[in-house]
Amino acid sequence: MASFSYKVLLLILCTFTLAHSERLHEQIYSSIEGGAACFRRLNGTHQAGCSSADNGAVGVVHMIKEINDAQWLVQNGSAGPYMAVVSTVQFYDVIEIFMQQPENVAGILLYDNATDSPTAFSQESRCPNEYSSASGSTCSSTVAGGIVWNTKGTGLLRRDIPFPIFYLPQSKSDEIDKIQLCYEKFNLDKSNQKGNPLCSLQLNSFMFAAVNSEVCLRRSASSALLNPTKVCDPLGDNNVYYSLFPRTEETKSSKPVTLVTARIDTASLFDGVSPGAASSVVGMVTLLTAATTLSQLIPAKDAHLYEQNVLWTLFNGEAFDYIGSQRVAYDISKGMWPAAAPLSPADIRLHVEIGQIGGALSNTNNDSSWPFHAFVPYTNIIPEINEFLDMMTSNAKPYNTPVITPEFTMNLPPSSLHSFRRILKNVTESGELPEVLLADHSNTFTNLFYHSALDEYGKIYFSYKNLTISNTGVFISTDELLANGTLKQGDPQVKIARLATTLARTLYQTVTGSAYSGNISASAHLVDEMLYCFLQSQACRLIMAADYASGGGSSPPASAAPLYVGVAAWAGTAPVFAAHLLALLTGAQLPANRTVCDSLAEPGFSYYWLRGWNHSGVCIQTTMNMSAAVSPAFAITDYDLKSGVYSSWTESVWQAMSARVFVSAGGGGAGAAAAAGATVTVLAALLTYWLHRHADRIFAAPAASIVNDDAASGILRTVNC
Amino acid sequence: MTLAEFFSCSLLAFGAPLVMFSLTVANDPVRIIIMIAAAFGWLLSFLLSSLVWYAVVPLRSYLAFGMVFAVIFQEGFRYGMYLLLRKTEEGLKEISENHNIGSNKLEMAYVSGLGFGTMSGAFALVNVLADSVGPGTLGLHNGTEYFFVTSAAMTLCMILLNTFWSVIFFSGFDDKNYLKVGWVILSHFFVSGLSLLNSRELYAATIIPSYIVLLITAYIAFRSAGGSTAKLVQSLTSRS
Repeated sequence: MASFSYKVLLLILCTFTLAHSERLHEQIYSSIEGGAACFRRLNGTHQAGCSSADNGAVGVVHMIKEINDAQWLVQNGSAGPYMAVVSTVQFYDVIEIFMQQPENVAGILLYDNATDSPTAFSQESRCPNEYSSASGSTCSSTVAGGIVWNTKGTGLLRRDIPFPIFYLPQSKSDEIDKIQLCYEKFNLDKSNQKGNPLCSLQLNSFMFAAVNSEVCLRRSASSALLNPTKVCDPLGDNNVYYSLFPRTEETKSSKPVTLVTARIDTASLFDGVSPGAASSVVGMVTLLTAATTLSQLIPAKDAHLYEQNVLWTLFNGEAFDYIGSQRVAYDISKGMWPAAAPLSPADIRLHVEIGQIGGALSNTNNDSSWPFHAFVPYTNIIPEINEFLDMMTSNAKPYNTPVITPEFTMNLPPSSLHSFRRILKNVTESGELPEVLLADHSNTFTNLFYHSALDEYGKIYFSYKNLTISNTGVFISTDELLANGTLKQGDPQVKIARLATTLARTLYQTVTGSAYSGNISASAHLVDEMLYCFLQSQACRLIMAADYASGGGSSPPASAAPLYVGVAAWAGTAPVFAAHLLALLTGAQLPANRTVCDSLAEPGFSYYWLRGWNHSGVCIQTTMNMSAAVSPAFAITDYDLKSGVYSSWTESVWQAMSARVFVSAGGGGAGAAAAAGATVTVLAALLTYWLHRHADRIFAAPAASIVNDDAASGILRTVNC
Repeated sequence: MTLAEFFSCSLLAFGAPLVMFSLTVANDPVRIIIMIAAAFGWLLSFLLSSLVWYAVVPLRSYLAFGMVFAVIFQEGFRYGMYLLLRKTEEGLKEISENHNIGSNKLEMAYVSGLGFGTMSGAFALVNVLADSVGPGTLGLHNGTEYFFVTSAAMTLCMILLNTFWSVIFFSGFDDKNYLKVGWVILSHFFVSGLSLLNSRELYAATIIPSYIVLLITAYIAFRSAGGSTAKLVQSLTSRS
């Protein structure tokens, strides 16, 4: 029986007719799958983000439907602490209530509702990268009034949050239904919660690092006697650059370059959900497409004909105090970038940054317009910039877009220009190294989802057309797609293709000195594929074709590559994809087999053996290369992390992130067990004591009769007793 | 709340056996040896029944099947303990410093029964106790938070039943009174069968009849050990 009882207790609730049994643990807990946790990052002086206690944060579920629910939770909730379940729509309104009075808040489960989506959602500061801005910036997240870039920003990405936050995307709405069901079963009677079983949540996202980067790096370095533990890693990844013509030590000074930059990375509060469509992907895709188009306009073999060069650069880690651009500017100031043929500031004729340009796509999805603002941070007239803007306008004429409004202001929006204006201050502020920023906004961001989990492809009205690419890598032209109705004037693919065409033709004019008269233009088909690769699925045609042929043929996951910069010790996939796409789309295909390809080594070029359009392998000769996007703060020995000169962000290490829902006991069971246990134990003690003490009187006779073989000794001993 | 639940349930299930152990067994090394031997015997019986359960693949999901074999093996090992103790009784008496050992032949039965029951109780409850530390309790899908206290109460019942069953069982073989042996086996099957109802959350239907059986079994054991109600009442009334 005991064994049976054991099995019953262990495998409760399986009826005889059901052939499967469940463990008790599974009956008590139901894990919430697919959640993304907010984690901790540290800079030189502070810690930012969330952490739970070592064994997780436990709280009573409270569904927040309106602001009153949040106020009740922090002020009147008696069975606390509570776990607030908030939709993205309410989040902006209630988060400050929780941040001000966190005593009764165990954590927040944030979910995205399919039927009701917010109009704005950003966890970035109101002034992104405020403390790495160049002089002249007036945006202040602490002082009220003035121009604020990110008006709806909660700043959580830069604040220390005293409780864990988990995010559940739309696709996991069944998990919310599960919690809702449990909530309605136990927690609805708000006035009578204490002492009753209540639906509860446990969020576990314990972070190893604390205080600031200096402290956590010291803790990581000091190897404890037995377990050398690492508690944080510097943020960082790779920058990608590619020049139109090869640059070598011999030729570099003869050809000044136009530096065209954009950024790869984006950020969000939550681990693994940083889509960054409008924040960064549109800019990056524009740069890649324009570079592709320019390489078609000017064949690389004509390099000797021209006196100018174009250097396309993608910065990484820009979301966290401009890691990538700070490193590049720092290296330029030291004469170390690019490694093969270092640039001096004098070699840079003009620096054009493609900033945040995706936000306006959501406002203008019905027509072909796409308003731009060119930020020119100079009070005097810089001929190179005026010339560039004039050429852009004239090259945009055929499409009436983009219309570029110049903004002459020292107050630059967040962009890599800030790094150059701080680190190469002498040349940039005087106009020796002229800089211009293209953005789609003037005083405040048009992208209301800046650096958030909701900055998705839907927000820029992108819908993938899934058109086949020919075996030779020829893309269908924009005009053809417009003519056959596949795409409309208002589609982001068309707009980006036109912007890329304009930019490529402008640079053509810069390099050759004459306006472009041909009919080569950027393909909206290429843009379509590229947006799909970076926003929806890595298992896309372009990335498959641009992968290493020796990659083994395993197809990448059907989700977008994470665009968060990540830690420097771990190379991200996004810059690798961008680099390979540049190589494949702009490089020259050589008629070489793999062994020949691997042995080629002409200065100024590198050689890649990629899969190619028909996946049979191609040898690509390219000027593309990568450089470390790790902040100078971690490259300089004896750098004072508290000084705030360079980005000093590190990311905490964590072990596990998990969330589960269950019912917490009201105490009735424990009370009953304690009462019954005490009673039974005392009774048993009294009875045993009594029977033991009077055993000879109570049990005497039968015992003697049974022990008949040893009766004498038995009696003797009984007497002795 | 949950740590309180863990300690309360432990107290309910093991408080009474612990008190019995410390008052009657702990002061004598030989009794402790017998108790440990009996606990080991129960483990062996459990190992065998789990082997059978494991070997018969098609019936694995039927608790009733495993239960029948578990009961049979346990009673087999109880008989084994009986044989062992009767064979070694003289020897144990020689090495024991306490010459009271064996003053009542059923004393050994009681000690071995306690060992048998404690081990079975430990196995029955340990997994449940592990989950009672929380932070959750039953109720998300079905069940109530009273599951843990009922499990502890059932475990206590089983420990005490095993103790009394051993006393009745040994006395039945000593006296060649096979009616007593029959009662032990039948009531074992009955209580085990009742606990199958746990899976339907009929906790009251399991616990109340089980405790009634416990009371009857306790009385039979008391009588078998030579106790008489009259003398018990007499001992309570007279000052001693």
